[in-house]
Amino acid sequence: MADYDPAAHYDRVTRAWALLMGDDLHYGYFEDPAEPVATASDRLTSLMIEHADLAPGLRVLDVGCGSGGPASRLVAEHDVDLLGITTSAVGVDTARGRFAALDLSGRFEQRDGTDTGLPDASFDRVWVLEASHLMPDREALIREAARVLAPGGRLVLCDIIRRREIGFLELRERREEFAVLRAAFGAARMDPLSAYAEHAARHGLTVDVETDISAETRPTFAAWRANAERHHDAVVDLIGADELDVFVRSLAILEGLWDDKTLGYGIFSARRAG
Amino acid sequence: MASPRIAAENVIREFLGRIKKDPASPLDAPLYADGVGLDSLETAELSALLEDEFGSDPFSSADELPQTLAEVLDHYGAAVEAEAV
Ligand SMILES: C[S@@+](CC[C@H](N)C(=O)[O-])C[C@H]1O[C@@H](n2cnc3c(N)ncnc32)[C@H](O)[C@@H]1O
Repeated sequence: MADYDPAAHYDRVTRAWALLMGDDLHYGYFEDPAEPVATASDRLTSLMIEHADLAPGLRVLDVGCGSGGPASRLVAEHDVDLLGITTSAVGVDTARGRFAALDLSGRFEQRDGTDTGLPDASFDRVWVLEASHLMPDREALIREAARVLAPGGRLVLCDIIRRREIGFLELRERREEFAVLRAAFGAARMDPLSAYAEHAARHGLTVDVETDISAETRPTFAAWRANAERHHDAVVDLIGADELDVFVRSLAILEGLWDDKTLGYGIFSARRAG
Repeated sequence: MASPRIAAENVIREFLGRIKKDPASPLDAPLYADGVGLDSLETAELSALLEDEFGSDPFSSADELPQTLAEVLDHYGAAVEAEAV
């Protein structure tokens, strides 16, 4: 389409996802399955903050910064020196706009987390919130994080994980389920938490946290489903009925994959010797 | 009528085009990373497609996954040398 405007499209998609998932574009960590998804997704950010052990002035690299939601908390609450990177140009603009509106200081640049081009040992913290599953070369991401971390620095990461091996024949058998997930969320690859730990160890980091939080994230799907019902008409206006349908179908599939312990969610942190 | 090998090649190249991979990939290119670039789900989809079309496929019937397009096609018959004219 000649007048197709990717920025406008991204904007509609972002608004639709905000209605479905909340302003943070990530899962929730629920203490009570009935609590609002915004409370739970904020708690996931808080858990990452706890593991990151932040202090004012620390240089933080936010890899896969989305539209800058979590980054705004890091700066507003912990006064860190923040660089957010994402492969999405529109994401960079949106995050800059958010920071300007909130009168926060931070930099956002379009860079690839697996090959950042940033100097060695130039950050105290590397933060990767639910972005690693979109980077197929997982080892390159961890190698790059280890490279840019200064001595004594720390990597914190959380994401969807694979909890068991999925053989080729099983993948083939269940290909329609996985195709729905790909249509809803894009091409992704999930790895076990142990794979992150192995990459970290290979690149000179000492792993100190490796926690499975699948149970605590499981209520996310019901919360998103409730949002899809509540905001049905507005979301259909933004992205159309077919896309909403794919999103809703993906929720039952993910619940099944969580319940049969195929997929889940993990949080991980590692330290560079100081 | 096209040989099964040629028919399979056509099906595969049409599939590659549909999933935005290079439909003109050379026969000896690796199928996965650093080659044609099929991920595991796309490989599973190709496997099912070939079985639907031809009744069997080399991904689900062998112990090891084929590594190149040529190895996939070998499942459907040996390559015929182009005749020198
Ligand atoms: C699910 S969003 C999470 C965003 C944000 N961390 C949050 O929690 O709100 C995933 C992000 O990873 C980014 N991304 C995907 N591949 C990337 C890569 N290779 N390098 C850097 N960012 C990437 C996407 O553009 C998007 O911003």
